Amino acid sequence: MMKRHDSLQGALPLLVLKILLRRGPLHGYGITLHIETMSDEVLRVEEGSLYPALHRMEEAGWIKARWAVSEHKRRVRMYEVTAAGRRQLEAEEGRWHAVTGAVAHVLKHA
Amino acid sequence: MSLLSRLVNVLRASKVERDLDDELRFHIEARIDALLAKGVTRQAAEAQVARQFGSRLRLREASRDVKLVAWLESLLKDVRFGLRVLRKDLVLTAAAVASLALAIGACIAAFSLIDALMLRPLPVSAPDRLVYLAYPTYEPGSPEGDWFNYPLFQRMREAGQPHVDLFGVSYPSLRAAIFPDGGGQDERVRAQFVSGNMFELLGITPALGRLLAPSDDVMPGAHAVAVLSHAFWMRRFGGNPRVIGRTFTFYEHQFQIVGVAHAGFTGTEPGRSTDLWVPTMMHSAEALGPEGADWNWFRVFGRLRPGVRAEQAQAVLQATFSTFRQERARTFRPDDPRDRTERYLETPLRVHSAANGPSELRRTFERPLWILAIVVSLVLLIASSNVANLLIARAAAREREMSLRLSIGAGRGRLIQQVLVESALLASVACVLGLLIAAIVGPAIVNMLAPSTDPAYLDLRLDWRVLAFAGGIGLMTTVLFGLPSALRASSVAPMGALKGTGGRVTARLTLRPLLALQVGFSLVVLFVASLLLLSFLRLTRVDPGFSQDRVLLLSLDTSAIGEDQEKARAALQLLDRVQQMPAVDGAALSQWALFEGSAWTNSIRIPGREPEAFEPFFLSISPGYLETMRMRLLEGRTFTPRDIEPDQPTAVIVNQAFARRFFDTTHVVGRSFGRPVSGEAAKSSVVRDGLLPQEIVGVIADAKYGNLRDPAPPTAYVPLRGLGTLHVRAASEDPLALAPILQREIPRALPALRVTNVTLQSTLIANSILSERLLALLSGFFAIVGLLLAAIGLYGVLSYAVVQRTREIGIRVALGARPIIVIRTVLAHILSVMALGIIAGLGGGLFLSRFVEAVLYEVQPLDALSLALPVCGLLVVAVLAAVPPARRAARVDPVVALRYE
Repeated sequence: MMKRHDSLQGALPLLVLKILLRRGPLHGYGITLHIETMSDEVLRVEEGSLYPALHRMEEAGWIKARWAVSEHKRRVRMYEVTAAGRRQLEAEEGRWHAVTGAVAHVLKHA
Repeated sequence: MSLLSRLVNVLRASKVERDLDDELRFHIEARIDALLAKGVTRQAAEAQVARQFGSRLRLREASRDVKLVAWLESLLKDVRFGLRVLRKDLVLTAAAVASLALAIGACIAAFSLIDALMLRPLPVSAPDRLVYLAYPTYEPGSPEGDWFNYPLFQRMREAGQPHVDLFGVSYPSLRAAIFPDGGGQDERVRAQFVSGNMFELLGITPALGRLLAPSDDVMPGAHAVAVLSHAFWMRRFGGNPRVIGRTFTFYEHQFQIVGVAHAGFTGTEPGRSTDLWVPTMMHSAEALGPEGADWNWFRVFGRLRPGVRAEQAQAVLQATFSTFRQERARTFRPDDPRDRTERYLETPLRVHSAANGPSELRRTFERPLWILAIVVSLVLLIASSNVANLLIARAAAREREMSLRLSIGAGRGRLIQQVLVESALLASVACVLGLLIAAIVGPAIVNMLAPSTDPAYLDLRLDWRVLAFAGGIGLMTTVLFGLPSALRASSVAPMGALKGTGGRVTARLTLRPLLALQVGFSLVVLFVASLLLLSFLRLTRVDPGFSQDRVLLLSLDTSAIGEDQEKARAALQLLDRVQQMPAVDGAALSQWALFEGSAWTNSIRIPGREPEAFEPFFLSISPGYLETMRMRLLEGRTFTPRDIEPDQPTAVIVNQAFARRFFDTTHVVGRSFGRPVSGEAAKSSVVRDGLLPQEIVGVIADAKYGNLRDPAPPTAYVPLRGLGTLHVRAASEDPLALAPILQREIPRALPALRVTNVTLQSTLIANSILSERLLALLSGFFAIVGLLLAAIGLYGVLSYAVVQRTREIGIRVALGARPIIVIRTVLAHILSVMALGIIAGLGGGLFLSRFVEAVLYEVQPLDALSLALPVCGLLVVAVLAAVPPARRAARVDPVVALRYE
């Protein structure tokens, strides 16, 4: 049975926001590709989680979406970061560093 | 996203879904293209992508939850799904809805009755500023009196003027009226004599013509005008506007109809609907003059003036009330018992709120209706827990579905919502049906509140109060029976349920307390109902001391005969004529019929004894009365025609209770006592010191007077000099067949007489225990319903337990357990639950019985019978409900059972 990766939900918005901020408007597939290539394929985005996360972030007002036409003349939905998203990113990033720092500290000294 | 666009999304669900699919399809295709480019075969690529995406269903569910107003959208879906599920289990659903609808309907009916009779304010302007006056009577049966006489009212009205505007309203009794278009026939109308300022003070407006004004209530006998109620106008005159100016005969006057009150106003007495109002000045001159001080015939209402509190008004009115009584006490006989006079003088006047209108019917039925309300709420609880049981059992059957939904990503909240939606569907269907049931049951109960000859009326309209109550009940039941199964459904462990094990222990744990509750509640209902039933049965078996069978009662209009002398002569002629008719087994007259509601009490003086405050009952009877009524003469003689001749005023017959009360022996023939008389009667030559001598000529066995509950009161029977109610004992089994013959023959024999009303003695006695009958019938009915529901619940739980434990039973049987052991295993835990329920139910029943005790007759809650009856009834039903599942358990085939799953 498939299990739900609730743990990813903490990190996923952070990654999405960061990518969108760096690369500008992207569609969902583009976001996946970027995360995978940038993490040297270490991080595999669970597509099942990505879209609910994107929609939730859109709900929260961190990103906004519009329909566009891709280079292959396909209808795609492009996402970009809003001002609120930027603020959220800063906060999330700070917290992420704090947590990972703490974890690293424990790993090193335990 | 704005709320608006979310709502638009909900309504355009298909468009959103298409967009979502587009987005996902693009993603999937792009992914597959990428894999193909890497040299993976299309088949392998598709498989990998599908794996990665997991279930597309879940994806969509999770995505859309955030895209839309989640609950609204999922609600629609759940409703559709719920309906589908409910349709699938049609029998189960129908049973659940029917039992629930019955219970909810009963609750709504009880509420609307209680609301109409007790809670709802009168439909008048500012009802909270309305008061009425009352005083304690110091009598056990009627603790408070609220009837006043005209002279006292006049003085209080004047004295209270600066604080409160008083107005009088007589009891809305049925009286005879003759309308010109009625063919000269008497019609019974509910009429009230009211002060001219009543309509103005209540803020009632006319629907037609004008209402009574203070100027219509000035001179005795001078204002023959009447106002109709809207309902009567519609019923009797079809709403004809030309009714204004028409006349009718009433109370020996030609009244003119001057107006119609606005719709919805039926008087100030909840429980009765007034047909017409006439000014108090049109009551008999006697009642309005100074001699009317003895005649209490109306209630006194008042509207407090702005800024005045009820206590201020009370202080002013109390002074007038006390002064009036002091003046009256001066006319009392010097030998009147002192304590009684003192109490008379010190009686407080009470000012009560009349916001919801004082009501005789409320006085009688207040407690019975509350008892009924408790009973039906208990039945509702039983029905609710039954539905909860059924839902839980079904939820268990749906474990696989639930865990599938959970594992594909449905939130637990969503599952709870799903189950609650299902129960809300059940509850709302039951509520709608319940409103329909209440619309039938409510009026049926109103009909049981009063005899058909004097019907009660309650405005049981479907207003916002009733609807709010129905809605509240629906909500409560939804939570009550939905929540346990919802919580249970959502606590399913996906892995276990899919594998076919686990999750079941919780089911049993939830079912057991519910079953105990059910058993407990139904025992309470059964207990209370059996107390009320036993009490009613005992009341109907009470021997009244006379025979009520085949006794016809005929009211006579004697107004055409003037003189008392003539009346006495007419009485003898009438009895002579009727007694000779075929099919008549005896005829007699008395001033009124027993159990009719009228009573005459009078103080007496026993030679050589101190005057007592206690007053015995009196009844004037004609010769032949004791024989006709089959009262038993124990000693002495009965009355003869000689006794009713003038100047023979002394003979009296007493009952045993009288003899014991005043002479401490039953051998009292030849003893005598004095009866204080005043006015015309005091002028007789035999009266000494205002005392009419009464010589006891006979003693009869005790006979009840107006109520079955109390022991027969000490009663003295005196000769009737005149006419009254004609009592005819029919020789045949059908006394009513005699009525038309008598109605035809009596005016033929005595043209001055007219029969105005015919009834049966047995009807009057039955009418005297209407509230007991109502309680016994309804609580008995609901006890059966409750028992049935509990039986269904028990059956369901047991069947469920057997199915759950089939495997275990199979193993036991395979290992050689005998059927009895198997049955015991299945029943064991149910029995402890039952025992718990019975103990709790008895506790609750005994607690409740303190509230019921006041209406019981010769039944003690702690009687062996009162306790044994409900417990045995419950046990019998429980055994019957347990037999089929137990048999199924005993028949479990180990081979089949072990192969199962």
